[in-house]
Amino acid sequence: MPGDDCREALEQLHTYLDHECGADLEQAIRAHLGDCPPCLDRADFEQQLRAIVARKCKDAAPSGLLDRVIADLKET
Amino acid sequence: MGEAERSELEDTERVATPGTGSPPTTRQELTDAERRDTFSRDALPYLDQLYSAALRYTRNPADAEDLVQEAFAKAYAAFHQYRPGTNLRAWLYRILTNTYINAYRKEQRRPDEVSADVTSADGGEFSLYDRISETTARPAEVEVLERLTADEVKQALADLPEQFRMAVYLADVEGFSYAEIAEIMGSPIGTVMSRLHRGRAALHRALYDYAADRGLVPAAGGAHVTTDGSA
Repeated sequence: MPGDDCREALEQLHTYLDHECGADLEQAIRAHLGDCPPCLDRADFEQQLRAIVARKCKDAAPSGLLDRVIADLKET
Repeated sequence: MGEAERSELEDTERVATPGTGSPPTTRQELTDAERRDTFSRDALPYLDQLYSAALRYTRNPADAEDLVQEAFAKAYAAFHQYRPGTNLRAWLYRILTNTYINAYRKEQRRPDEVSADVTSADGGEFSLYDRISETTARPAEVEVLERLTADEVKQALADLPEQFRMAVYLADVEGFSYAEIAEIMGSPIGTVMSRLHRGRAALHRALYDYAADRGLVPAAGGAHVTTDGSA
Protein backbone atom coordinates (compact mmCIF):
# COMPACT_ATOMS: atom_id res chain seq x y z
CA MET A 1 0.00 0.00 0.00
CA PRO A 2 1.53 3.34 -1.00
CA GLY A 3 1.88 5.50 2.13
CA ASP A 4 3.11 9.00 2.91
CA ASP A 5 6.72 7.88 2.49
CA CYS A 6 5.99 6.63 -1.02
CA ARG A 7 4.19 9.83 -1.88
CA GLU A 8 7.07 11.99 -0.66
CA ALA A 9 9.69 9.83 -2.39
CA LEU A 10 7.85 9.89 -5.72
CA GLU A 11 7.06 13.61 -5.55
CA GLN A 12 10.73 14.34 -5.02
CA LEU A 13 12.07 11.53 -7.21
CA HIS A 14 13.42 13.80 -9.96
CA THR A 15 15.08 16.26 -7.60
CA TYR A 16 16.48 13.25 -5.73
CA LEU A 17 17.89 11.73 -8.92
CA ASP A 18 19.25 15.17 -9.82
CA HIS A 19 21.00 15.28 -6.39
CA GLU A 20 19.19 18.55 -5.74
CA CYS A 21 16.78 17.73 -2.91
CA GLY A 22 19.11 18.48 0.02
CA ALA A 23 21.07 16.09 2.25
CA ASP A 24 18.30 15.27 4.77
CA LEU A 25 15.66 14.49 2.19
CA GLU A 26 18.17 12.60 0.08
CA GLN A 27 18.96 10.35 3.02
CA ALA A 28 15.25 9.82 3.81
CA ILE A 29 14.43 8.95 0.20
CA ARG A 30 17.41 6.63 -0.12
CA ALA A 31 16.28 4.83 3.04
CA HIS A 32 12.74 4.57 1.72
CA LEU A 33 13.88 3.19 -1.65
CA GLY A 34 15.86 0.54 0.24
CA ASP A 35 12.65 -0.59 1.98
CA CYS A 36 10.16 -0.24 -0.83
CA PRO A 37 10.67 -2.36 -3.97
CA PRO A 38 7.88 -0.66 -6.00
CA CYS A 39 9.38 2.80 -5.45
CA LEU A 40 12.88 1.46 -6.11
CA ASP A 41 11.65 -0.06 -9.37
CA ARG A 42 10.31 3.33 -10.42
CA ALA A 43 13.53 5.11 -9.42
CA ASP A 44 15.62 2.58 -11.35
CA PHE A 45 13.43 3.04 -14.38
CA GLU A 46 13.82 6.83 -14.30
CA GLN A 47 17.57 6.54 -13.87
CA GLN A 48 17.94 4.05 -16.72
CA LEU A 49 15.69 6.20 -18.89
CA ARG A 50 18.03 9.16 -18.41
CA ALA A 51 21.03 6.97 -19.15
CA ILE A 52 19.42 5.79 -22.40
CA VAL A 53 18.61 9.34 -23.50
CA ALA A 54 22.14 10.49 -22.64
CA ARG A 55 23.78 7.59 -24.45
CA LYS A 56 21.70 7.98 -27.59
CA CYS A 57 22.03 11.77 -27.87
CA LYS A 58 25.78 11.96 -28.30
CA ASP A 59 27.39 12.91 -31.58
CA ALA A 60 30.98 13.27 -32.66
CA ALA A 61 32.02 16.52 -34.31
CA PRO A 62 32.54 16.09 -38.06
CA SER A 63 36.13 15.79 -39.19
CA GLY A 64 37.39 19.18 -40.23
CA LEU A 65 35.60 21.13 -37.49
CA LEU A 66 38.55 20.81 -35.10
CA ASP A 67 40.90 22.06 -37.83
CA ARG A 68 38.69 25.07 -38.49
CA VAL A 69 38.49 25.90 -34.79
CA ILE A 70 42.29 25.66 -34.47
CA ALA A 71 42.77 27.83 -37.56
CA ASP A 72 40.60 30.51 -35.89
CA LEU A 73 42.87 30.48 -32.81
CA LYS A 74 45.92 31.18 -34.93
CA GLU A 75 44.24 34.13 -36.63
CA THR A 76 43.59 36.01 -33.41
CA MET B 1 39.17 51.88 -3.66
CA GLY B 2 40.59 48.63 -5.07
CA GLU B 3 38.37 48.97 -8.11
CA ALA B 4 39.62 52.50 -8.85
CA GLU B 5 43.22 51.44 -8.40
CA ARG B 6 42.79 48.54 -10.78
CA SER B 7 41.25 50.57 -13.59
CA GLU B 8 43.97 53.19 -13.14
CA LEU B 9 46.57 50.48 -13.43
CA GLU B 10 44.92 49.17 -16.58
CA ASP B 11 44.89 52.70 -17.99
CA THR B 12 48.61 53.13 -17.44
CA GLU B 13 49.23 49.70 -18.97
CA ARG B 14 47.20 50.62 -21.99
CA VAL B 15 49.12 53.88 -22.36
CA ALA B 16 52.44 52.14 -21.93
CA THR B 17 51.64 49.31 -24.33
CA PRO B 18 51.69 50.81 -27.85
CA GLY B 19 54.93 50.37 -29.70
CA THR B 20 56.74 48.42 -27.00
CA GLY B 21 57.13 44.70 -27.60
CA SER B 22 56.66 43.69 -23.96
CA PRO B 23 54.43 45.90 -21.80
CA PRO B 24 55.37 46.34 -18.16
CA THR B 25 53.05 43.82 -16.56
CA THR B 26 52.42 43.71 -12.85
CA ARG B 27 50.36 40.51 -12.88
CA GLN B 28 51.14 37.16 -14.40
CA GLU B 29 50.24 37.51 -18.09
CA LEU B 30 50.30 34.65 -20.55
CA THR B 31 52.00 35.19 -23.85
CA ASP B 32 49.83 34.60 -26.93
CA ALA B 33 51.47 31.24 -27.50
CA GLU B 34 50.92 30.18 -23.88
CA ARG B 35 47.32 31.29 -24.01
CA ARG B 36 46.75 29.31 -27.20
CA ASP B 37 48.42 26.21 -25.75
CA THR B 38 46.39 26.41 -22.54
CA PHE B 39 43.15 26.91 -24.43
CA SER B 40 43.94 24.07 -26.84
CA ARG B 41 44.79 21.72 -24.01
CA ASP B 42 41.86 22.59 -21.71
CA ALA B 43 38.99 23.70 -23.95
CA LEU B 44 39.34 21.84 -27.26
CA PRO B 45 38.71 18.39 -25.69
CA TYR B 46 35.08 19.56 -25.24
CA LEU B 47 34.62 19.85 -29.02
CA ASP B 48 32.48 16.71 -29.41
CA GLN B 49 30.32 17.57 -26.38
CA LEU B 50 29.75 21.12 -27.55
CA TYR B 51 28.98 19.91 -31.05
CA SER B 52 26.37 17.46 -29.65
CA ALA B 53 24.79 20.29 -27.69
CA ALA B 54 24.88 22.60 -30.72
CA LEU B 55 23.21 19.94 -32.83
CA ARG B 56 20.45 19.52 -30.23
CA TYR B 57 20.02 23.32 -30.09
CA THR B 58 20.02 24.03 -33.83
CA ARG B 59 18.73 20.63 -35.09
CA ASN B 60 20.86 21.12 -38.18
CA PRO B 61 24.46 19.91 -38.74
CA ALA B 62 25.62 22.93 -40.78
CA ASP B 63 24.26 25.43 -38.23
CA ALA B 64 25.71 23.34 -35.39
CA GLU B 65 29.19 23.49 -36.93
CA ASP B 66 28.95 27.26 -37.40
CA LEU B 67 27.70 27.68 -33.84
CA VAL B 68 30.54 25.64 -32.35
CA GLN B 69 33.14 27.45 -34.42
CA GLU B 70 31.77 30.84 -33.38
CA ALA B 71 31.50 29.81 -29.72
CA PHE B 72 35.12 28.61 -29.59
CA ALA B 73 36.32 31.82 -31.25
CA LYS B 74 34.41 33.88 -28.67
CA ALA B 75 35.63 31.72 -25.80
CA TYR B 76 39.22 32.13 -26.96
CA ALA B 77 38.84 35.90 -27.30
CA ALA B 78 37.40 36.03 -23.75
CA PHE B 79 39.72 33.40 -22.28
CA HIS B 80 41.46 35.98 -20.06
CA GLN B 81 38.10 36.39 -18.26
CA TYR B 82 37.91 32.71 -17.40
CA ARG B 83 39.06 32.13 -13.83
CA PRO B 84 41.30 29.04 -13.62
CA GLY B 85 39.94 26.47 -11.21
CA THR B 86 36.29 27.29 -11.94
CA ASN B 87 34.18 25.03 -14.14
CA LEU B 88 35.55 25.43 -17.66
CA ARG B 89 32.94 23.11 -19.19
CA ALA B 90 30.06 25.20 -17.75
CA TRP B 91 31.82 28.38 -18.91
CA LEU B 92 32.07 27.04 -22.47
CA TYR B 93 28.43 25.95 -22.44
CA ARG B 94 27.38 29.39 -21.31
CA ILE B 95 29.19 30.96 -24.27
CA LEU B 96 27.76 28.36 -26.68
CA THR B 97 24.24 28.87 -25.33
CA ASN B 98 24.47 32.67 -25.39
CA THR B 99 25.78 32.62 -28.92
CA TYR B 100 22.91 30.38 -29.95
CA ILE B 101 20.23 32.41 -28.18
CA ASN B 102 21.49 35.69 -29.64
CA ALA B 103 21.66 34.35 -33.19
CA TYR B 104 18.33 32.59 -32.84
CA ARG B 105 16.45 35.56 -31.42
CA LYS B 106 17.90 37.87 -34.04
CA GLU B 107 17.39 35.74 -37.09
CA GLN B 108 14.48 33.43 -36.54
CA ARG B 109 11.90 34.48 -34.00
CA ARG B 110 10.96 37.05 -31.45
CA PRO B 111 11.06 36.09 -27.77
CA ASP B 112 7.28 36.37 -27.27
CA GLU B 113 6.71 33.71 -29.92
CA VAL B 114 9.18 31.49 -28.11
CA SER B 115 7.25 31.71 -24.84
CA ALA B 116 3.93 31.06 -26.59
CA ASP B 117 5.52 27.98 -28.07
CA VAL B 118 6.49 26.74 -24.63
CA THR B 119 3.00 27.22 -23.22
CA SER B 120 1.18 25.46 -26.04
CA ALA B 121 3.43 22.41 -25.90
CA ASP B 122 2.83 21.88 -22.20
CA GLY B 123 0.85 18.67 -22.12
CA GLY B 124 0.80 18.26 -18.33
CA GLU B 125 1.87 15.29 -16.25
CA PHE B 126 2.98 12.09 -17.95
CA SER B 127 4.53 8.97 -16.45
CA LEU B 128 6.33 6.84 -19.00
CA TYR B 129 6.84 4.25 -16.27
CA ASP B 130 3.07 3.94 -15.71
CA ARG B 131 2.27 3.85 -19.41
CA ILE B 132 4.85 1.18 -20.21
CA SER B 133 4.20 -0.97 -17.15
CA GLU B 134 0.47 -1.08 -17.95
CA THR B 135 1.26 -3.31 -20.90
CA THR B 136 4.77 -4.64 -20.45
CA ALA B 137 6.09 -7.28 -18.11
CA ARG B 138 8.33 -5.77 -15.45
CA PRO B 139 11.84 -6.73 -16.46
CA ALA B 140 11.15 -5.59 -20.04
CA GLU B 141 10.17 -1.98 -19.23
CA VAL B 142 13.56 -0.48 -19.92
CA GLU B 143 14.22 -2.98 -22.68
CA VAL B 144 11.44 -1.33 -24.71
CA LEU B 145 13.23 2.03 -24.55
CA GLU B 146 16.60 0.44 -25.25
CA ARG B 147 15.16 -0.67 -28.60
CA LEU B 148 14.46 2.89 -29.72
CA THR B 149 17.17 4.01 -32.13
CA ALA B 150 19.46 6.95 -31.44
CA ASP B 151 17.73 8.82 -34.27
CA GLU B 152 14.34 8.30 -32.64
CA VAL B 153 15.53 9.53 -29.25
CA LYS B 154 17.25 12.54 -30.85
CA GLN B 155 14.09 13.32 -32.79
CA ALA B 156 11.95 13.06 -29.64
CA LEU B 157 14.23 15.64 -28.02
CA ALA B 158 14.27 17.78 -31.16
CA ASP B 159 10.45 17.88 -31.10
CA LEU B 160 10.49 19.76 -27.77
CA PRO B 161 10.22 23.56 -27.71
CA GLU B 162 13.60 25.25 -27.46
CA GLN B 163 13.59 26.16 -23.76
CA PHE B 164 12.52 22.65 -22.70
CA ARG B 165 14.96 21.01 -25.08
CA MET B 166 17.92 22.97 -23.74
CA ALA B 167 17.05 22.42 -20.06
CA VAL B 168 16.49 18.68 -20.50
CA TYR B 169 19.64 18.28 -22.59
CA LEU B 170 21.81 20.17 -20.09
CA ALA B 171 20.43 18.17 -17.14
CA ASP B 172 19.89 14.67 -18.47
CA VAL B 173 22.63 14.38 -21.07
CA GLU B 174 25.30 16.73 -19.71
CA GLY B 175 24.51 16.27 -16.01
CA PHE B 176 24.73 19.97 -15.09
CA SER B 177 23.27 21.07 -11.73
CA TYR B 178 20.21 23.34 -11.56
CA ALA B 179 22.46 26.27 -10.60
CA GLU B 180 24.78 25.62 -13.54
CA ILE B 181 21.85 25.36 -15.97
CA ALA B 182 20.40 28.59 -14.58
CA GLU B 183 23.72 30.31 -15.24
CA ILE B 184 24.17 28.75 -18.69
CA MET B 185 20.65 29.69 -19.81
CA GLY B 186 20.55 33.01 -17.96
CA SER B 187 17.30 32.04 -16.19
CA PRO B 188 16.25 31.82 -12.52
CA ILE B 189 16.56 28.38 -10.90
CA GLY B 190 12.78 28.12 -10.42
CA THR B 191 12.29 28.60 -14.15
CA VAL B 192 14.90 25.94 -14.89
CA MET B 193 13.16 23.46 -12.58
CA SER B 194 9.80 24.11 -14.19
CA ARG B 195 11.23 23.73 -17.71
CA LEU B 196 12.93 20.51 -16.68
CA HIS B 197 9.78 19.09 -15.13
CA ARG B 198 7.59 19.90 -18.11
CA GLY B 199 10.31 19.16 -20.64
CA ARG B 200 10.91 15.68 -19.26
CA ALA B 201 7.18 14.92 -19.30
CA ALA B 202 6.98 16.07 -22.93
CA LEU B 203 10.11 14.08 -23.88
CA HIS B 204 8.79 10.93 -22.23
CA ARG B 205 5.45 11.34 -23.99
CA ALA B 206 7.28 11.69 -27.31
CA LEU B 207 9.40 8.60 -26.56
CA TYR B 208 6.22 6.65 -25.87
CA ASP B 209 4.78 7.79 -29.20
CA TYR B 210 7.91 6.69 -31.07
CA ALA B 211 7.78 3.32 -29.29
CA ALA B 212 4.08 3.03 -30.24
CA ASP B 213 4.83 3.89 -33.88
CA ARG B 214 7.30 1.04 -33.94
CA GLY B 215 4.79 -1.33 -32.34
CA LEU B 216 6.96 -1.74 -29.23
CA VAL B 217 4.04 -0.59 -27.03
CA PRO B 218 0.31 -0.17 -27.76
CA ALA B 219 -0.68 3.06 -29.53
CA ALA B 220 -1.42 6.06 -27.30
CA GLY B 221 -5.05 6.11 -26.17
CA GLY B 222 -5.46 2.34 -26.37
CA ALA B 223 -4.46 1.84 -22.77
CA HIS B 224 -7.15 4.19 -21.46
CA VAL B 225 -10.23 2.10 -22.36
CA THR B 226 -12.01 1.09 -19.15
CA THR B 227 -13.09 -2.46 -18.34
CA ASP B 228 -16.77 -1.88 -19.11
CA GLY B 229 -15.86 -0.80 -22.62
CA SER B 230 -16.55 2.93 -22.28
CA ALA B 231 -13.74 5.24 -23.30
